[in-house]
Amino acid sequence: MTKSRGTDMAKKKEKVDSESDIKSMAHQHAEFFDKLIELIPARFYLPDETEKKWFPGLSKAQKARAKRKTTENLKKARRDRLDPEKSALTTLDLLKQKIEKEKKLSHVVADDDDDSEEEEADNNKKARTDSVTYEELRQRLHRKIDELKGGRGGSDRPRSHEKRKKIVPNKRKRESGSVEESKAADKGKGKMDVEEAAKDLTFGYVKIDDDEEHGKDKKKRRLSKSRELERALKLEAAKKDPEKGEVIAKKHSWQAATSRAAGVKVHDDPKLLKQSIHKEKKRHEKNAEKWKERVEGQQKVRVEKQQKRSGNIAERIEQNKMRKIAKREKKLLRPGFEGRKEGFVNEGGK
Amino acid sequence: MGRFKNNKKGRVNVKPIAKSNQANVDHVTGDKIPKSFVFSRTKLPGSVKQLQMDLRKLMLPYTALSLKEKKRNTLRDFLNVSGPMGVTHFLMLKKTASALSLRVARTPQGPTLTFKIHQYSLASDIAQSQTRPRCPPDLFKNPPLIVLSGFGTQELHLKLATIMFQNIFPAIDINTVKLSTCQRLVLLNYNKDTKLIDFRHYSIRLQPVGVSRKLRNFVQTHKAPDLRNLQDVSDFITKAGYGSESEGDEEAATVTLSSDLGRVNKGSTKSAVKLQEIGPRMTMQLVRVEEGLCSGGIIFSEDGNVDGKNKQDGDEEDAASEEESEDGEEGSEEDMDEDAED
Repeated sequence: MTKSRGTDMAKKKEKVDSESDIKSMAHQHAEFFDKLIELIPARFYLPDETEKKWFPGLSKAQKARAKRKTTENLKKARRDRLDPEKSALTTLDLLKQKIEKEKKLSHVVADDDDDSEEEEADNNKKARTDSVTYEELRQRLHRKIDELKGGRGGSDRPRSHEKRKKIVPNKRKRESGSVEESKAADKGKGKMDVEEAAKDLTFGYVKIDDDEEHGKDKKKRRLSKSRELERALKLEAAKKDPEKGEVIAKKHSWQAATSRAAGVKVHDDPKLLKQSIHKEKKRHEKNAEKWKERVEGQQKVRVEKQQKRSGNIAERIEQNKMRKIAKREKKLLRPGFEGRKEGFVNEGGK
Repeated sequence: MGRFKNNKKGRVNVKPIAKSNQANVDHVTGDKIPKSFVFSRTKLPGSVKQLQMDLRKLMLPYTALSLKEKKRNTLRDFLNVSGPMGVTHFLMLKKTASALSLRVARTPQGPTLTFKIHQYSLASDIAQSQTRPRCPPDLFKNPPLIVLSGFGTQELHLKLATIMFQNIFPAIDINTVKLSTCQRLVLLNYNKDTKLIDFRHYSIRLQPVGVSRKLRNFVQTHKAPDLRNLQDVSDFITKAGYGSESEGDEEAATVTLSSDLGRVNKGSTKSAVKLQEIGPRMTMQLVRVEEGLCSGGIIFSEDGNVDGKNKQDGDEEDAASEEESEDGEEGSEEDMDEDAED
């Protein structure tokens, strides 16, 4: 009886054992498969959700955009991978996420969504609080440095052509100013002086779009050379004027120098203008000559060709006629006869 | 058919070896690109020749780097060559017994500004004085930016000088310019009291703010850091600290980049702008402004006290001004001291 009981117990135990065995075995198998899945990168294991763009079919601009997007995504992904706050997602985790998502969709239960969102919000908040303290510390440090240096007056923006800011004017000036002022005794004071002195900064030219239109307008108002010559002569006469000549001359020379330095062509020398008008006239005449010659030449050639052609045609007609006559005459050159009858031997007759 | 000999009698050959495949007109903006020649018509002593070379490198890429001038070349020759090549500015150095002068002129018949150089330092001197001189390989591939300070808009001769300098370098188009092309800076500072203009030449460097120096160096140079004394890699990253000591100093010298620049500076993050001096350093004074190219009437002279004679009818005035402006311009050699001013 004990035996039977023992066997019963044993059987029960075995059954229990085998159950737990099966469980543990199943668990071991599951772990093994999980490890295998983790070895495969997520990109290959999970199907890609985003629809693949058909690159050959896109236009050039679209392709450039897509390329930029992919590089940006790559950079972002690289950053995320190394970002300690965003945990590294293994394939397994992604798979689990996917399964969860599917479950959510199938149930369409709002509660599940809320839960997951709450979790995410918590994570974000934690990350933010961490970074805020870091930022705060830095700001405090910088503020302290500022106080020690006696504060900074904000200098107003200099009048410059630039719209967008790549160069911060005053601080750049301060830096270069400090290179010279480092020899000065009081470094702090020196910086203040230079700052104030450097309030007017001018930069190199920057092209902004609205300037183009002005340029196009100006081109239309270009005077002809003769008009410019008149203007230049008038100017010269004005310069010779006894009373206001000096002033006019000075003003004009400064104006001319400034616009020449800026690249604008100033025509104020009547001699040069005369020379150029003369040259232009000569050039025009030469071109007219050439054109006339060309036209004449063409006509001549045409006439010659026509004449030659008509000559050839006439010749051919002549030759055809001759040939026919010759043929006709040939028929009458029978032996014993001398050709066509040319008339009686005794002309006139009785 | 034989070759015909050159008919013009006094003609001499200028042999500028300039790059022939440079655009005359900027593809992007449609403007003419200003090009320059840096030369001197007199013989220069050693250090001034180096200064001339430094100035040539400064004006790269739109200049003739290996321009060769012969003694018999006159200004006329350079003018004749500049037309077809599209050269707009001449920078001429001249060393006489009394002074070293730099003339900046606009080619066809433009005004000439004469600067007297009181002091100068060569680029090699500056590089030797620095602990970490910096010269990236493509530093001279793009034209420099220019900043003028203290010139004001009141005085005519200063206004002319600003316009002149602004036009020597091509304009930048903010729509298409790439941040990586803005690598150099020329700075001119006018001191009202002493009437001297300081000329400096810097290279621009952008560094990300808020990154410790060790990390920055590591990312930029990819050299394996020395981890001998550290227990763990995390020590290397966290121990570094807040950044360089001078970072608080430049709190306001930071900009927010609009796009990525290089490997380290990311767009829409703060980066610090750092200038390091390269190139020659000069202290000069504007002494004369002439209407024409080294000719014409003097419209400004000598410290601005005497507003010079204008070119009117008077031949005497002409002769007088010519005398003033042409002393030594014929190319005749004068006594030149070997020691240049320092």
